Amino acid sequence: MSAARRVAGKLGGLLLTLFLASLLVFFSRFLVPGDPVSFLLRGRKPSPESVAAITAQYGLELPPWEQYLRWILGVLRGDFGRSLQYRQDVSEVIGDRLPVTLTLVVMAGLIIAVAGVAFGAIAALNRGKVIDRIVLIGLTVLGAIPSFVGGIVLIALFSVGLGWFPSFGSGDGFGDMIHHLTLPSIALALVFIVLVGKVTRSAMVDQLGREHVEVSTSRGVARQAVVRRHVLRNALGPILTVSGVLVAGLIVASSIVEAAFGLSGIGSLLVQSVDRLDFPVVQAIVLLVVFAFVVMNAVVDILEPWIDPRSAAGAGAR
Amino acid sequence: MNRTLLRADAATLAGILIAGALAACSPAASNGGGADDPIDWKITDSTAVPSGDIDSFTFASYAEPYSLDYAYAFDYADNSVLANICESLLRLNPDFSLSPGLAESFAHPTPETWVYTIRQGVTFHDGTPLTPADVVASMRRHLDPEVGSFWFSVYQNVASIEQTGDDQVTVTMTGPDSQFNLGMGGSAGVIESAATLTEEGADYGNSAGGVNCTGPFSFTKWESGESITLTRYDDYWDDDLRAHSGEVKFVFMNDATARINALKSGSVDGSWMLPMESVSALTASDKGDMLFGLNTAVGSLVVSNLDGPLGDLRVRKALMLAMDRDGILQAAYRGVGEPSDVLTTESVWQEASDAARTTAFDDVTHYEQNLDEAKKLVADAGAEGAELTYVTAPISNDFSVISQATAAAAQSIGLKVTVETVTPNAYTALFSDPSAREGVDLFYTSWYLSSPDPLEMYSVLRTGDFSNYGDWSDPEFDALVNEAVTIDDPAARSELTAKAQQIANEELPWLPLYQAPISLYLGERITGVQPSVAFLYYPWAATIGAR
Repeated sequence: MSAARRVAGKLGGLLLTLFLASLLVFFSRFLVPGDPVSFLLRGRKPSPESVAAITAQYGLELPPWEQYLRWILGVLRGDFGRSLQYRQDVSEVIGDRLPVTLTLVVMAGLIIAVAGVAFGAIAALNRGKVIDRIVLIGLTVLGAIPSFVGGIVLIALFSVGLGWFPSFGSGDGFGDMIHHLTLPSIALALVFIVLVGKVTRSAMVDQLGREHVEVSTSRGVARQAVVRRHVLRNALGPILTVSGVLVAGLIVASSIVEAAFGLSGIGSLLVQSVDRLDFPVVQAIVLLVVFAFVVMNAVVDILEPWIDPRSAAGAGAR
Repeated sequence: MNRTLLRADAATLAGILIAGALAACSPAASNGGGADDPIDWKITDSTAVPSGDIDSFTFASYAEPYSLDYAYAFDYADNSVLANICESLLRLNPDFSLSPGLAESFAHPTPETWVYTIRQGVTFHDGTPLTPADVVASMRRHLDPEVGSFWFSVYQNVASIEQTGDDQVTVTMTGPDSQFNLGMGGSAGVIESAATLTEEGADYGNSAGGVNCTGPFSFTKWESGESITLTRYDDYWDDDLRAHSGEVKFVFMNDATARINALKSGSVDGSWMLPMESVSALTASDKGDMLFGLNTAVGSLVVSNLDGPLGDLRVRKALMLAMDRDGILQAAYRGVGEPSDVLTTESVWQEASDAARTTAFDDVTHYEQNLDEAKKLVADAGAEGAELTYVTAPISNDFSVISQATAAAAQSIGLKVTVETVTPNAYTALFSDPSAREGVDLFYTSWYLSSPDPLEMYSVLRTGDFSNYGDWSDPEFDALVNEAVTIDDPAARSELTAKAQQIANEELPWLPLYQAPISLYLGERITGVQPSVAFLYYPWAATIGAR
């Protein structure tokens, strides 16, 4: 199978997944009780003309399939509709909050990658020893801390106690934003470090026992080079696969961290939009998360053969 | 006109207030005195005049406004910011009196017409002058079905709004309506530049479009979800309310604990409406002043089903007599507030005659807790074992205290109450969606008045009114209120309103529980503001300067 065909196949799968997700996201809203119009006219005693006019403004009088068609055609043109709660274009509402969440996710991702791989490697290289035990137990304990608890502990320690970091807001300008987002990204990363750490450890342990590693070692290749060239590189496959799944998980988990640190991001927006029946915003965010998830997986699938040619050659090859 | 505390914005509040409720049980909240000690409180009319100007100050709000469009400004979060940017035809002062605003005077030549003379020399923040055309355009928006104004009820009897002179606008009503003009001190009377309304269209008032009004501060920046910054408007027309601060920044802190921490650390200078659980922690920090001001809100239980057991007046009375209202005040507000037997506060009766006040507040039934009498009433009604459904939401500490207290009171007199907890948004729907109230007997509300007239409260309890949630009907009450609406003289009007208050006190369409003051925390840097619920419409931030 040529690389081009494989990429085309992936893209086709991606589009199909997004289409199915859009159906699911759109029609699930009709299962939720509550009338968006009563939210849009929540003053006292709206006039009947107003109820009709507002219903028509948001196309809520149309049959569901027609509403879907209008919505999906708009989405294809980049128009996600109007937010009911903010009376503003959804793309603007999300665009205003996306930088915070993206920065948070990227920072957390870096922390997860560096810390997770480091801990996993340390444990794998010291397999069975005390250090391995300590790392494993440490990771398990970390993994048991929910991010909101982690957030509160971090605030108590580093904001209120030591005063090193601010406890709320996202700051002005890039440097200030990094400063503001340090604690939230650590709180967000905690649980995921465990996942990456454990996957790294088991993948490396698996590779360490392989023949080619033993052969290299017996031929006198330096330990560092063996680990770098043969162990870590071959272990990257599973690590990469897990990382793809992580990205979407990070966006969703950010809602909890954003709430704890008073950040205005996509996660907290999603939570409040669900309660306020702001369907256009909910639909856009869910689609965004699905998109990020699917794209990350596709990227991992496409990258994998370059990192590990065996996966392209087929499962039988060694 | 009437708005309910924690109604429109219940959803946003949920986060912070739940956190507030949690903080009540945490040791952190109880430092500096027993967590359950009553708070020593008194009403403060005004704080010291500023010693000078300051560059800027920061105020924390429990929620972000949905919009700064005056047509949708219907809650604490929206109005407390907007009040400093946009002005109305009349001005609602901190003592809850009305005085001229953008209308330098008004006349009432016939029972059906209100004529406003527009003030000269006023400019919008973009420098363009205020004209009667702006007034007409701003007011007509409330009648536009496409806008769907939250303030339509103020305009429900308006037939036309026309410019009738170089500086004159005439509003013609379909019949005599004393309440329309009283509403012009609130959001319903806000004037925006007609050009801006056309230019911004659907984006008017949102974080991208912003607003362009005449107030002491101009809109500068809205960072979605985080803050709104206002800047002093140097060409403001009223020298008495020229802003003492060059800038004011409102930060949104949905988490009550975060808000309290920010106030304690001094990173935020002040905040309205603090959870009472945090008051002892704030006063202990000694960094500023905890103040209590005039309010118009009464906390009540809405009887939303008169076809059930509560359809019998004896059962409503029994429940009222069984409630431990002092206990509720103590548990929910640390004793800040007073039990109330009526649905309005004396603060909205300022223009009333002495006789009316006596009728309204002295010649009414005072429901002292009396379990024996309550049990007897339940027995007379044959309602022992009757089941009631009470709907509440996890919004704040008072919501849970009152639901538990109601259930306990009902149980003590042989009634059964099922407390159903719904999401804040579903609770909000109780106030606008009749289908949401099906099968619901009781829910709590803190209902505040936006105009200085108690009739605003009683006009919503007329037969068939949108907010008459239990479809209560009393012909004598309806006749009194309908007649009062047509009377212009406030003293004469108040005598009829007082009788309506007596009927509501006797018939209990809603069960009044208590009234509590509005709370305000001012940090050590700032002073000048007059604590009052008028902060929703009065440019209070302009009065704040250096201590």
